Formats: sequence, structure tokens, C-alpha cells
Amino acid sequence: MAMTRLARWAARSPAPVFAAIGPGRQADTERLLARPGLRRAATPRDAAILLVAGDLPGDAAEALSHLHDQLPHSRVTVRWQGASPDAIAERIEMAWRDICAGELDEDDHLPDKPPNAWKGIGPHGQGGKGMMGGTPYGRSMAMTGKDIRDGLQLDRFTARFGPFLPMLPPGLVLEVTLQGDVICDLDVQRPPFAQPADADAPDLCAARMLRLLGLESAADRVMHGKSANAMWVRGAVPKELGRIDGTSARDRLTSWLAGDAVSVAPPDLPALLRGAEWSEAMLILASLPSSAIIRAAQSVEAA
Amino acid sequence: MQTVIVILGWTALAVLLARALQPAANSSAPQAMPFLGGGTPDSHAWQRYHFRPYSMALLFVAFEMEMMFMYPWAVVFVSEGIKALAEMGMFLAILSVGILYGWREGIFRWQ
Repeated sequence: MAMTRLARWAARSPAPVFAAIGPGRQADTERLLARPGLRRAATPRDAAILLVAGDLPGDAAEALSHLHDQLPHSRVTVRWQGASPDAIAERIEMAWRDICAGELDEDDHLPDKPPNAWKGIGPHGQGGKGMMGGTPYGRSMAMTGKDIRDGLQLDRFTARFGPFLPMLPPGLVLEVTLQGDVICDLDVQRPPFAQPADADAPDLCAARMLRLLGLESAADRVMHGKSANAMWVRGAVPKELGRIDGTSARDRLTSWLAGDAVSVAPPDLPALLRGAEWSEAMLILASLPSSAIIRAAQSVEAA
Repeated sequence: MQTVIVILGWTALAVLLARALQPAANSSAPQAMPFLGGGTPDSHAWQRYHFRPYSMALLFVAFEMEMMFMYPWAVVFVSEGIKALAEMGMFLAILSVGILYGWREGIFRWQ
């Protein structure tokens, strides 16, 4: 099929990639996605190419299928095993050109049906608990519980986040119960994948935090070895946020921006994040080096 | 007759435009799920939460309405006498129910 002019124009834009990062590949993948021809998609809905870096353990297969099916058509999965970053970047760009030409697509991995039947507890499929009837679209409605701050009865939303959520370290699965955006319960279901020490490089850690703050281009500049060149970046992080043995999230960002590595004792994750708002909690997690989160999550698992 | 034609014409136009602009709802079940990085939710993300300033707004409206009604009432109070007093008493009784409700919700506990 001949490419239309519009498709050729689209193919020249950076390829939108969503990365599912496996054990040991965090640093490689983050550096790959900072290349000019590629664009890090914030969500699968925004992406056309699913990059699977490294060998994922078997228990992540279902999560990967969910992720794959959430990419809109046309989509393609690119697996990155041992190839060099240059080779894989070229493969992604080739796949993006094929997608724009309409030559590439993949079918769903999971069946297109809701997780449960749309059925209430009554004999004719009607009714539910409280004010909530049935299971619309196969999922029940949220039920109330006591707010952790003042005991008001509010709806609780429980979900498992991860293992491929971009703001969490790859592999980490958290079961979080939210009321509005306040985390009222948190449980580590799966520790992050093991990563070598290069995942703690100051520029990568600083870039992760800057991305979370929405400073994409500052993050790219930091990863290319330049200064962040953004006015008073430190001020974007609340002052006393995430204080662990003497350093706050803001202090850690400052030392990363200066090019110094940071080491913190592995914190007690549930105690650290319970009561925080979602965005605060993600900022606190991003302000910890990967190795500290891995050790912290493993100690929670062991307990 | 002309009016009816104009109304029908505009209605038809609005319906056609709405149909032309409606997004195609053809997402599959996995795509309709919220993005959780591969994780799954237990329930719908739609939740009721407490809009905390609302009890404060209730208190404000209660006192504001009281003052709004009291100025004209003060003008006619002398000529109307006991009748105006009874009316104001009824009005304040109704408003004070709102204030009592706010009290129960803890608006007066300043932090």
C-alpha cells in the first residue's frame, strides 16, 4: 500500500513507545527512550509500540497482556533481548514507519469480555449492597469505609498498581486503597525487578523526578549531561516531603542535579506512603534510588 | 407553520450534527479498564468523596440569608409588630436547623 502524504508526515514524528522494563534493563531502556527519534509515551493509549526489554518473569505475563491490549490499533510489540541500543532504536523506527503505512498490527491477547457478568445479587440480576446495584460492565461499585483523617464514611478504591506503571520502579506491584487521592492502605505485592547499580546513576534518578514533575525537556537535558536549565527546579518539590534519615526529597533532587549519588537506608514503604496523597507518594518514591526501593520492598515481602 | 418548520429544521440539524460528532465507542474490555500499568482494579474508579468546604458554604449561606432578610424586616418591624416578629422567628428556626446540622458535622471545631 502506498503511503499517503499524511502517513509519511506522521512517520517522520518521533515514534511513541511504551516500555515494559524487565530485570536489569532499567538504565538501558531509560537512556534509549531519551533518544531524539523516540518519544516516551505516558500511557499505552498514547503509544503505538510496546517495547519489552529483557526477560520478564512468568508472573508478569498477564500484566503485559493487559498493557498490550490497551495500546490502540495499529500496534506492534518489539522485544529487546541482546541487541545494541542503536540496533533496537533502528528497529523501533522501522516498525513506526510500517505502522504509519498501515502494514503492521497485532490482535488482542485477552478476550474482549468484562471480568464478571453484569449481574446484581437479586434473583433477576438486580440490586446490590448499599446504594450500589449489580456489577456494571463487570465491576462492582466502590463501597464506603472510614477516612483515615477524620473518620467520615467515604468510598474506597482498591487496585493493584504496576508492574509497568511508569512512575513506579519496574516490577513493583503495590496494592493501594485510595479515598479520593489519599492513600489509606498500601501493601507491597511484588518487589521491583533486580537492577544493576547503573539504575542509580544521578542523572537517571534526577530525570525520573523531573519527568514526574512534568519537566520533560529538562529531564532530557539532564540525561544528555547538560544542566537542567530550568528555573528553581528544587522549588517544585515540597520542602519537607519524604524525609528519611536526614535528607528530604528536595535535598536528594539537589544532590542528583549536582551529579552526586545518594544512598538512603531502605525505608518502611507502607508506613512512609500511608496518608500521603497519590502525587506526593509518587514523588517520594521517585526521590529514592532504585536500590533503596528494591531493598525496602524485599524487606516488606520477607516480613 | 413557519415556526414549526424552523423548530423542526433546527432540531434535525442538531441531531445530525450530534451524530456526526459522536465518538465511536468501540473500545474493547481491556481498553475500557483504567491504566494501572498492568494491574487490575477491584471496583469502578468512580467514587463518592467528601467535598469538605461544603459544610462551610452551608454555614455561610445560612448567616448570609439571615442578614439579607433582616434589613428589610427591620424597616417594617415597627409598623407590623408582633406578626413580623413571628415571621422572623419562623425563618430563623428554619435556618438554625442548617446551623445545627453544620454543628453536628463539626464546622465549629477550628483547627
